Amino acid sequence: MARRALITGIGGQDGSYLAELLLGQGYEVFGTVLGNPEEYESLAPLRDRLRFAEVELPNAEDVRRALRDIEPDEVYHLASASFVPASWDDPVGTSTAAVGAVSAVLDGVRRERPEARFVNAASAEIFGAPSEVPQRESTPLAPLTPYGAGKAFGHSLTGAFRRRYGIHASSAILFNHESPRRPEQFLTRKVTRGAAAISLGLEDELRLGDLSTRRDWGFAGDYVRALWLMASQEEPSDFVIATGESHSVEEFVAAAFEEVGLDWRQHVRFDESFARGAADSPELVGDPAKARDRLGWQAETGFDELVRMMVVADLELLKDQAASPR
Amino acid sequence: MADRRALITGITGQDGSYLAELLLEKGYEVFGMTRRASTENVERIGHLTDRISLIQGDLLDPHSLVSALRTAEPTEVYNLAAQSFVPTSWNQPVLTAEFTAVGVTRLLEAVRTVDPNIRFYQASSSEMYGKVREVPQNEQTPFHPRSPYGVAKAYGHYITVNYRESYGLFAVSGILFNHESPRRGLEFVTRKISDGVARIKLGLADELRLGNLDAERDWGYAGDYVEAMWMMLQRDEPEDYVVATGETHSVREFAEIAFGHVGLDWEQSVKTDPEFLRPAEVDQLVGDPAKARSDLGWAPRHSFRELVEGMVDADLERLSGSKSPSVHIPAQ
Repeated sequence: MARRALITGIGGQDGSYLAELLLGQGYEVFGTVLGNPEEYESLAPLRDRLRFAEVELPNAEDVRRALRDIEPDEVYHLASASFVPASWDDPVGTSTAAVGAVSAVLDGVRRERPEARFVNAASAEIFGAPSEVPQRESTPLAPLTPYGAGKAFGHSLTGAFRRRYGIHASSAILFNHESPRRPEQFLTRKVTRGAAAISLGLEDELRLGDLSTRRDWGFAGDYVRALWLMASQEEPSDFVIATGESHSVEEFVAAAFEEVGLDWRQHVRFDESFARGAADSPELVGDPAKARDRLGWQAETGFDELVRMMVVADLELLKDQAASPR
Repeated sequence: MADRRALITGITGQDGSYLAELLLEKGYEVFGMTRRASTENVERIGHLTDRISLIQGDLLDPHSLVSALRTAEPTEVYNLAAQSFVPTSWNQPVLTAEFTAVGVTRLLEAVRTVDPNIRFYQASSSEMYGKVREVPQNEQTPFHPRSPYGVAKAYGHYITVNYRESYGLFAVSGILFNHESPRRGLEFVTRKISDGVARIKLGLADELRLGNLDAERDWGYAGDYVEAMWMMLQRDEPEDYVVATGETHSVREFAEIAFGHVGLDWEQSVKTDPEFLRPAEVDQLVGDPAKARSDLGWAPRHSFRELVEGMVDADLERLSGSKSPSVHIPAQ
C-alpha cells in the first residue's frame, strides 16, 4: 500500500513543492488548506492527484477526525501565516493560527496516530536577534515578532511532545526559502518581478527599503526535500535547514537586474516606508552541518541559480499576461 | 476615582488573591476579571468581595477584554490568569495554547487599543527554562520548555517583550519560580504534603502518597512574590525580573520539615507512588534573584522552614474546623 502523507497548508509555496515531491515518490497525498482548494493556483497542476481533508485549523476535532479517516504515515505541519510584517497587523490572528494549529495537530497525532511521523515547519525567525552567527539547532530562541513567537511555540512544543510521548516528531528550522511561487509581497519575489517588469518596459522603477539586510536564501524545492528526509530518519530530531551562505538584499537586487541585462542602480529607489525597523536587521544565516551529516542534505540550488529561476519565471508570467490582455 | 487602579486577571487564583490584598492595602481600587462571575470559585477572594469589583472578561474573547479595560480604566494590569497546572497542560494542550499563550497577545492588544499608558505585568514562570542550560537561572538564561504549559508561558514572555520593544508599552515579564502558600491548590505537591500532614496528625488519614522525593525546587512564599510583581510596575523603565529564593530543597526535605513540625516521622507515613511521577521532569530549577534584589530592593521575607510550617499550621486550623483559618504566614 502506498504511504500516505497529510500536509497542512498544502496550498502554500512549500505545500505545493512538498506535494509534488511526495507524489513523485509514490505517496498518496492529503492536504488541508484555508478556504476553498480550488482557489489555490499553485495546486492547479496537481489537483486531480491530491485529496483534501476538511480541517479548519485550529479546530482540534477536525484534526482528529482527519487523522482517523486518513491514517497518514507522515504528517507535515506547514499551515501558518507566513508573511512576517503582517504578523504585526494581526498579532492575535497570527498567534491563534500558529499556536492553536500546532497544538491541535500534535495533540491529534499523539492521540489518534502516534505511529505517524510528524514534521513541523519552524523558521529562522525563532532566533530573532541571534546571539551567535551562524545559527544552529542549539542557538537560543529570541523571537522579535508575533510570527517568530508563534514559530518558537511550535518548535518547542514539537520537542516537548517527542520527549514526553516518544512520538516521531521533528522540527525543521527553515531559513528563508524562495521560489517563483513566493507571493509578490515577499521581498525576493517583489525584486524578481520588478526586474522582469522593468526589462519588459511595463514599469520604470522598483521601490525598496533597506538593502543592507543579510539573509540566508535557498530554494523552496530543496527545502521540502529536507522535510521529507527528516520524516524518513530512524530517529526524530530537529534540524537547521539553510544554505549556510548569507547575501545582502543589494546582492539579490543586483543579481536579478543583471539577469535581465540592467543596472539596478538606475531603477531602484529607496522608499522609507518599506524600511523595517532595527528589529529586522540582524544577520540570519544558518549552519546546516547537522542536516548535511545526518540527512545527507544540502541546498542544491545556489544563490545565482535561485535568482535566475525566479526572474525567468516572472519574465514568462509577465509575457503571458501581456500576450493575453483581459 | 482612585489615582491607582489595577485590573487583575486570574484574581481567584493563589497569586491573584494575595496581590488583590496587597494592592488594597496600598490604596488601589482593585478590579478582578473573572470568566463567569456566577460559576467561578471565589473562595480565595470571598473576604474581599465588598472591597473589589469583579468584571466579566475572558482571555479567549478579545472584545470582552477591551470592554473590561474600558470599565476598569486601570493604570496597571496584572495578567495572572493561566491554566497553571502542568499535568493538565498535557491533556489539554489546545486550550492551554489558546488561553495561556494567545490570551497574552489578546490582552496586550486590548491594552494597546484602550490605553497604551497602562502598565502591564505578565506572570511568567520558571517552567519556561525546562531543560536548563545553566544553574542558577537568570534573566538571560535561554528557555527550553518541556511542557505545553512551559511552551505557552515562553510564548507569553516573548510576546510581552515584543510589545515593549515594538510599541514602547510598559510591559514586563516576571519570571517567578515556584511559590506556595496555604492557598495553593491541592493538586500541587507542597499543598498536598501540608494537607496530608495535617490529616494524618488529626487522624483523618494514615498515609501520604508522593512521587519523586528527590525532585528539587526553588520554593518561596506567594505573599512575598506578589510584592515583587507590584515593584516591577513602579520602576521608571520596564524590565524583566527573575523572582526566586535562590535556594533549592527537595520534596523529601519539604516532607521532613512538615511532618517534623507536628512531631511525626515522615518515613512512617509517606509512600512513594509511581503514578505521581511527573513526566518530562525538569532539571534543577533554581533562580538567581540578584537583579530583583539590586533593582527592586526585593528579597523573600520568609524562609523555607517558615513556609512549610506555615502551610501545615494553616491546614491544621482549617481541618480542625476553624471558621477563618489563617492564610497569611507571618514573617519572623
